[in-house]
Order: sequence, then C-alpha cells, then structure tokens
Amino acid sequence: MNAIIKTQNLTKQYGDILAVNNLDLEVFEGEIFGLLGPNGAGKTTTIRMLTGQTKPTSGTITVDSYDIVHEPIKAKQQIGVVPDVSNIYDEMSAWDNLTFAAQLYGVSKVEREKRAKELLELFGLSERRKDRVAGFSRGMKRRLTIAAALIHKPKLLFLDEPTTGLDVQSLRMIRSLIKELNSDGVTVFLTTHYIEEADQLCQRVAIINKGRIVTVDSPEKLKASTERRQLIEISFTASRGLEDKLKGLSCVNEVSMLGDKCRLQVDEASEAVPALVDFARKNSLKIVSINTLKPSLEDAFVKLTGLSPEIMKTEKEPVKKKEE
Amino acid sequence: MDALKGNLLKAVGIAKKDAKIYFFKGPNITFGLLFPAIIYLAFSVGRTAEISMVIPGLVAMSSLFGAGAIESIALPLERAKGTFDRLLAAPISLTTIIVGKALGGFSFGIFLSIAYMIIALLLPGATIANPFLFAFGIVLSALTFSALGVCISAPFGDVPQAMPPATLIRVAMVFLGGVFIPIATMPSSLQLVAHILPVTYAVDILQQATTGQIVAIALITDIVALILFSVIFFAVAVALIKKTLH
Repeated sequence: MNAIIKTQNLTKQYGDILAVNNLDLEVFEGEIFGLLGPNGAGKTTTIRMLTGQTKPTSGTITVDSYDIVHEPIKAKQQIGVVPDVSNIYDEMSAWDNLTFAAQLYGVSKVEREKRAKELLELFGLSERRKDRVAGFSRGMKRRLTIAAALIHKPKLLFLDEPTTGLDVQSLRMIRSLIKELNSDGVTVFLTTHYIEEADQLCQRVAIINKGRIVTVDSPEKLKASTERRQLIEISFTASRGLEDKLKGLSCVNEVSMLGDKCRLQVDEASEAVPALVDFARKNSLKIVSINTLKPSLEDAFVKLTGLSPEIMKTEKEPVKKKEE
Repeated sequence: MDALKGNLLKAVGIAKKDAKIYFFKGPNITFGLLFPAIIYLAFSVGRTAEISMVIPGLVAMSSLFGAGAIESIALPLERAKGTFDRLLAAPISLTTIIVGKALGGFSFGIFLSIAYMIIALLLPGATIANPFLFAFGIVLSALTFSALGVCISAPFGDVPQAMPPATLIRVAMVFLGGVFIPIATMPSSLQLVAHILPVTYAVDILQQATTGQIVAIALITDIVALILFSVIFFAVAVALIKKTLH
C-alpha cells in the first residue's frame, strides 16, 4: 500500500511544552485514518504540522511524496483542510466563500463556478448560496467549511474534530459525507475525541496521548487485543441470590450485578452459554435475555492510555485555541 | 512566469476579498473621509494655512489612515477569527498572502486619497500644478502606509492588542511628519525624528506636485525613502508573522 502521509520522529515543542513527541505515522492512500485522543493530546498540533500551518521542531513529513516543509506549495495543492473551528468568512455568502477558496488553489473561473455549484448541491446549501454565512447554523457552517476544503478536488482531506459540538442531524450528515468521499477515492485523515466516531468511520486508528502515539491499528484489532476474556450479560426471571450461585460455575470467572442483569466474565462464551442454560433449568429459572458482549474501542482506549473515557467526552473550550 | 502570474492572481483574490469585507464598508469609508478632516479642522482653527499645504496634508493623512488604519485591524481580526489559517493552509507563500493583504489597504488608500484630492480641489484657489507627480505620490504613499499597517499589526493576534500601538504611531506621525507644521519650523530634535517618518516624505512629494516647485534632489529622496520604507515594512511584517506562526 502506498503511504500518502509519512512522518518520522515528528516533534513539536512550544517552550517547555512538548506538544508532539517523536511521532512516526504512515497513512495509506484510500483509507480513513483517525487520530484519537483527549483534548490536549497533541491532535491539532499534529494536523497543523501535517498541513504545513506550523513547522515541526524536528522530524520529517511527506505528503503525497512532497516534503511539507521544503515543498509546501506542491504538498498543500494535494490536500484539503477542515480545522476544528469553521473558518469560513462570515461576512461573505456561501457562494463567495467557495469561489474565493477555489481562487486560492488556482482553480480556473469556469471550473470554480462549476465546482461551487456541485458542492453546494452535495452539501444541501444551494438554497442559501447567496446568503451571508453569519446567519448560518453551526452545522451549515461546518458543511460549508468541508465544501470549501473540497473545491480543488484534493487527494487527501484533513478534518480536525469534524463533528464536535454539532446537532445529531448535522453529525450524521457529515459522517455519511466522509464515508461517501472516501468511497470516491479521497483519503481522509481525521482527529477526534469521540471514540464512537473513530470506531464507526476509521479503517485504522492511532491513539495519541501526551504527544505520543500509544498504538496504531484497526478498531477491530484494537478491541480484540484488549481483552481475551469475553463478557456475557444474562437476565433470569429472578435475580436475588444469584451472584454467589453463578460464581460457583466453573466456566465463570467473575460476576457483577447490573440491575436485574448479571454480567459474567468467561473464558469462552460458546462453552458458558450451554452451562448457563443448564444452570437456569436446575434452579427453576427462565432466561429472559442473554447477550455476548465484545470489548469496545472505549475499553481498548482505557486499557492503552490508562485514561478515563469520561475525559474524551469533555468538549473543547468554545474560545478558539490555536494549539493544543 | 506562470508561477508568478498564479501568485499575483491569488494575491489579487485576497486583496479583493479584503476590500469587500474589511475596507469598502460604509462605516470605514465614513471614518476614512471624516477622520482626517476632523483632525485637520481641530488643529487649524484660528490658524491660517496655505492651500498648497492643506491639500498634501489632507491627502497624505487620508492615505495614512485609510490604507493603514483598517489594515492594522484586518490582519489581527482575521487571525482572531481563524480565517487566516485558511490562507495558511492554501498553496500560497506567506509573502503572497502579505502582498494580497497589503494590496487591499493600498486600494483603499488610493480611493480615499483620490476622494480627498477631489474634495480639496473644490476649495477656492486650489490647484495641483503637477497632477502626474501628485498621482505618483498618492500611489507611493498608499503603498508605504499599507505596508506600515501590515507591519504594525503583524505581531498581534487580536484587534484590541493591535489598536493602541497602531493608533499611537499614526497620530504621532501626523503631528511630527509635516502634515500640520512645516518641518523647517520644528525644533532640531523633532526635525531629526521627522526624517525617519514615512509621512514626511509623502507630504513632501505631494507638496512639490501641488506647488510645482520641484527640487530634484528632494524629489528623488522622497521617492527612494518611500520605496525603502515600503520594502522594510513589508519584510519586517513577513518576518514577524513567520515568527508568530512557528
């Protein structure tokens, strides 16, 4: 597979703060790659270096085989950038924003008008094309920012926290657009602190914490590597006094009660399920529900970083931050 | 050659955008037209001023405040809103971005200077002996003052930070640069200060064009000084922005 982004020993230091520490990454053409980490982990600094907006303190970055530090113009021509805060011009109309963005990428007048029309249509903004962006909702501004990043048909799209703070409808629309763009051949590099988003969208995920990459793999492999033991959630017609009885089963390692449900940690679910059916029969109980639970990406994240998943649910401060 | 043309088109695109959203706005045009007149009236009440002094002074001041004042707001505003990052992420050099930003202020400076020139020519007894030199003086002044505006605002990431130094520098220039008081009548220490201010050379070139009394050496000094100031302000602006970015 061809690496469209490659970094080696990428480091960024702001005074005494080491924002990104010896980052080695490879992002392959055609994939959706996610950089997952809490606020302040170094995600925005990384994306700013990868897109040539900030110079690294040390290390190298190649984007589509161009060194972003030494050949920034050629490298930037291949990419589209969507920052964490929508940075379109509020004072201009949606149409003017798109045609201006096209001008920055050297798109011809005929082509820029054609593309602007197509993108406004694709992003559901055609009817508001002449309106000033100041009156747009957060979700509409986000869509327009993504449209502006796509105006020159980039090979690679960078999205920094694309869905942070959006309503459910806009969030779903943007996630589905990201998938659609990827199926059209655009490589997507996104940062997120939503574990669920990384799980749903990304083919590979890098977990970053305190400026360092903790691991890189596909979400499924990360989940699988986290916990070899399996979980079963079972509910019987009665639950009183079951905990101790269930602990007595040889196939069960641990039991915890969650309301009227019992969560059992087992070595092998396929062996445990018949034993539980037998257990119910012997105790004159009926099984109301039974589910096998796989470890989630959140479990993998917690195990790999040692952080609480709650920290990932903390939104960024509303004030724009240049750097994490 | 194609790359140069491409860069120029991008710079013009930035300038047109800036002109549209920052400069050519009703309140800014009103400010640009009224402010120099008010300052001039406040200072000249009770004094008799030669019309040949009034026209260059007003035109230089309108260029200084037109090209420079809005320019020193436009850049920090764009940085505070994050829209400057849009320019940085695009395949354009920082120099091209700054050329584009300065061109926006330049066009507004030219517009206000021409407006003031027309208004001034309506005053009784007002004439411009050498219109071509006057036009050249307007262009050079707008170029210098727009570069000055970018330079002053370059280190700042927000408007409230940029405004006090920008205003202080411009007001000091107006009073020390021969706009109201002929430099020859100033104390020698202030005359020295006047010679390091670009507005001094802008007023002088416009005065020579207005009166038609051209002194070759003084004219060449004015032109060279204004070009040098433009280049220095521009280079310092690029260096300062680069420093704040990395």
